[in-house]
Amino acid sequence: MLPYIAKRVLMMIPTLFAISIIVFTIIQLPPGNYLESYIAELEAQGESVDRQKVEFLREYYGLDKPLPEQYLRWAGGMLHGDFGYSFEFNMPVTKVVGDRMLLTMIVSFVTILFTWAIAFPIGIYSATHQYSWGDYGLTFLGFLGIAIPNFMLALVMMYVANVFFGTTIGGLMDPEFIGKPWTWDKVKSVLEHSWIPVIVIGASGTAGMIRRLRANLLDELSKQYVVTARAKGLPPRKVLRKYPLRMALNFFISDIGSLLPHIISGAEITAVVLSLPTTGPMLLNALKSQDMYLAGSFLMFLAFLIVVGVLISDLALVALDPRIRLSGGVAR
Amino acid sequence: MIRRLVALVALLCLAAPLLADEPPALAEEVAAGRLPPLSQRLPRTPRVVDVERPGWTVGRYGGDLHMLMAKDRDIRMMVVYGYTRLVGYDEQLRLRPDILERVDDDANRVFTLHLRRGHKWSDGQPFTAEDFRYFWEDVANNKDLSPFGLPRALLVDRHGPRFEVLDATTVRYSWDSPNPQFLAALAGANPLFIYRPAHYLKQFHARYVGLAKANAIATAAGSRNWAGYHQKLDEQFRFDNPALPTLEPWINTTPLPTTRFVLVRNPYFHRVDREGRQLPYIDRVIINVTDDKLIPARTGAGSVDLQMRYLRFDNYTFLKQAEARNRYHVYLWEKAIGSQVALYPNQNVDDPVWRKLMRDARFRRALSLGIDRHEINEVVYFGLGEESANTVLPRSELFRPQFRKAYASFDLTAANGLLDALGLTQRNDDGLRLLPDGRPMEIIVDTAGESTEETDVLELVRDSWRKLGIALFPRPSQREVFRKRVFSGKAMMSVWSGLSNAIPTPEMSPSELAPTTQEQLEWPMWGQYYELLGNGGEKPTPPDVQKLVQLYDEWRQARTDDERERVWLAMLAIHADQVYTIGTVTRALQPVVVRDDLRNVPKEGVMSWDPGAYFGMYHVDTFWFDRPEVAKVSKP
Repeated sequence: MLPYIAKRVLMMIPTLFAISIIVFTIIQLPPGNYLESYIAELEAQGESVDRQKVEFLREYYGLDKPLPEQYLRWAGGMLHGDFGYSFEFNMPVTKVVGDRMLLTMIVSFVTILFTWAIAFPIGIYSATHQYSWGDYGLTFLGFLGIAIPNFMLALVMMYVANVFFGTTIGGLMDPEFIGKPWTWDKVKSVLEHSWIPVIVIGASGTAGMIRRLRANLLDELSKQYVVTARAKGLPPRKVLRKYPLRMALNFFISDIGSLLPHIISGAEITAVVLSLPTTGPMLLNALKSQDMYLAGSFLMFLAFLIVVGVLISDLALVALDPRIRLSGGVAR
Repeated sequence: MIRRLVALVALLCLAAPLLADEPPALAEEVAAGRLPPLSQRLPRTPRVVDVERPGWTVGRYGGDLHMLMAKDRDIRMMVVYGYTRLVGYDEQLRLRPDILERVDDDANRVFTLHLRRGHKWSDGQPFTAEDFRYFWEDVANNKDLSPFGLPRALLVDRHGPRFEVLDATTVRYSWDSPNPQFLAALAGANPLFIYRPAHYLKQFHARYVGLAKANAIATAAGSRNWAGYHQKLDEQFRFDNPALPTLEPWINTTPLPTTRFVLVRNPYFHRVDREGRQLPYIDRVIINVTDDKLIPARTGAGSVDLQMRYLRFDNYTFLKQAEARNRYHVYLWEKAIGSQVALYPNQNVDDPVWRKLMRDARFRRALSLGIDRHEINEVVYFGLGEESANTVLPRSELFRPQFRKAYASFDLTAANGLLDALGLTQRNDDGLRLLPDGRPMEIIVDTAGESTEETDVLELVRDSWRKLGIALFPRPSQREVFRKRVFSGKAMMSVWSGLSNAIPTPEMSPSELAPTTQEQLEWPMWGQYYELLGNGGEKPTPPDVQKLVQLYDEWRQARTDDERERVWLAMLAIHADQVYTIGTVTRALQPVVVRDDLRNVPKEGVMSWDPGAYFGMYHVDTFWFDRPEVAKVSKP
């Protein structure tokens, strides 16, 4: 087991290196650089730009250096924890991300709990009561959840809230708490405001999970060991809990790999629509304005979480499912 | 005793106008002794704001003004809207002293600036000549802080001014030759700041705390060196450092990054209304940051009190629809550019055959006559624009109808006649005219590739030019590439918006009309020649362009407004006659959303960056809310 983990960890180094090159290249792909898009944006609003100042910034930010040098500066900095400098905010990347990371994690975490809490019972019900009215009804709802894009749902909810209730949704807390230190009142306010984004962001995830759980469970339910267990007189609920449900859970564990990055970046577009103070809109803006160190470091962090998440889910599968083994060779 | 009483009474009488009511939001602070009373916060002679506009009234204190912005760094807009300048434009575009009590201007060469005695920064520290000296000696002439030298507006033929401190409230800048741009630069939307809060910035300056300590402070705060840290803190325009003292009406209290800025009233602001009450009327400004594409939607949902930025004309119907439900009004203001979309024949193009044509006024006139501006107006601007050559707007006193109409009608016969007279009579099988060397006339128009408006207009121009036997091909590229192609003469013709300031007064510089900088798309190399004082680019040969250069020089030396006006009109006449740039449609409209009970916002206005600073020249500090609760004390 230990040599295996060591091997996997070692493999992460070239993987991350390759990812860093790809990330850097993709950010550099659109023509121009941060200053160009900055000037373009100012001029689009009819403002004038001081060219002298732009030259100063070009030199100060090192944008006049060749690309490989810029890459080395960035990648080298990350090795000892310096994630670079955000041009847009004129401060180190770590400071920009700061508070947003925490709020993003809260929203994502609550969303995941919400997803599980809803999806599990419904998925099991649908599978055990296949082709019943209940199954059809819940399946219909599930497909709606998959089919409606999150941001669309958010827009509809915003419209309804505004036209019928006269309120604006958006934001994650009452305005007076923004930028204030954390207090019990602020926490309560965040909880009060987070249910709408949680429903909106969780809708498609819930629906997807219902479908997958149902399909996996249906596969198992018709297998002979289930029939045997029933024939031996085990109560139906116990049968379900003891055998097929556990078998059907593998997909759930391998999902952890993609879950980790989701926690910190989930649902960019929805967050933009609801103007949540999370990391999603920030990443999107950084990419748009070619604020390359902010965008690049953030993407690298996501990549790192994916790599780690995949490792964790692989190890968890080994631990939980005896059918999966580390060593090669033909089983059976 | 009696004498003492009399003195007291006399003192009270003197102080009476200054004892006008305290802004309620500050009353508590003053009562508790945390803030000196109003009379001690205002300069000895505050600026009395009295706006000459029908419907403008003295207001009441209180309320929060909500606005939306798309980026954190848009907070700088509050420096634009607040428009606190040494001198600033009023609505009639006259320069008026604002922070300054008085400017003595001797033939545009010697400027003596008189500060207001007792004027204070937002932290209560005095604002004096020392703040000017600090900028001049320790910022502008410091090699680390200003590696590129003095700001350009301070240079006349590469020479900076002499700077003198006459006394604690008087400073003088003098040049050997006139610098007529100086005051305009001070009044800019993004102004030339020639003063700094010295008492605050000295804490971080190597000269005052020692190099080692300054660098230690900077590195502890995460900057590379003291110069970088000083630069970062010293951003009067970016407005992103809440600790930096300011002179603006509202102080930013929120550091970046954030999604909600709260700005509170500056208790030391130097303007009062005619009843002696300190401005601004509105206590707080709240700016929520959201995505720019959502701003029209959220504006329509009624979440703002005042919004212009990020609203486009095509949002108008949507905004209008929710007007009643969400208690706001949509006004349409005018944009102050010469032409929404203008074509720039490049007189410095590489190709010798094309260059000869581009420099021929008859050819440019033919191209201008070959554009159906009415069609462009109807198709692209819903018929709400005005067909015009690229010239100043009717709002400007320099406007003359003949400038607007010059070669701006759609007249294919006249245009074809002009082209025939040029000897371009040969045509190929497609009906395209042939150049003297036998190539078909195919004009490639470079665009920066950013706006669909430009491509829509070009599409229509292409159709009508085809009838002249000229083909047009747009060549979208990217801004940097676009500029390089124009500057190097690779681009034959380019497309951009027209005159950037189309509401000039004779006092404003006509530099846009003469070759003065490389940025001018119609003659980049001639512009570069004057920008580099003859050390690069090309000297213009056509007599009409030389005349423009001469006129521009006359303007710089001019001593009276009459003289300046004469120069302006002469330059505009040459432009109208020579059609250096081809305008299409002007007077495009900008929606402005205003809460029903927000008073003193003009119904009609000009949306102009410089001069004007958008809302700035309309005095946002005098906007006020006409609602019952505003009369009561609102909590800060």
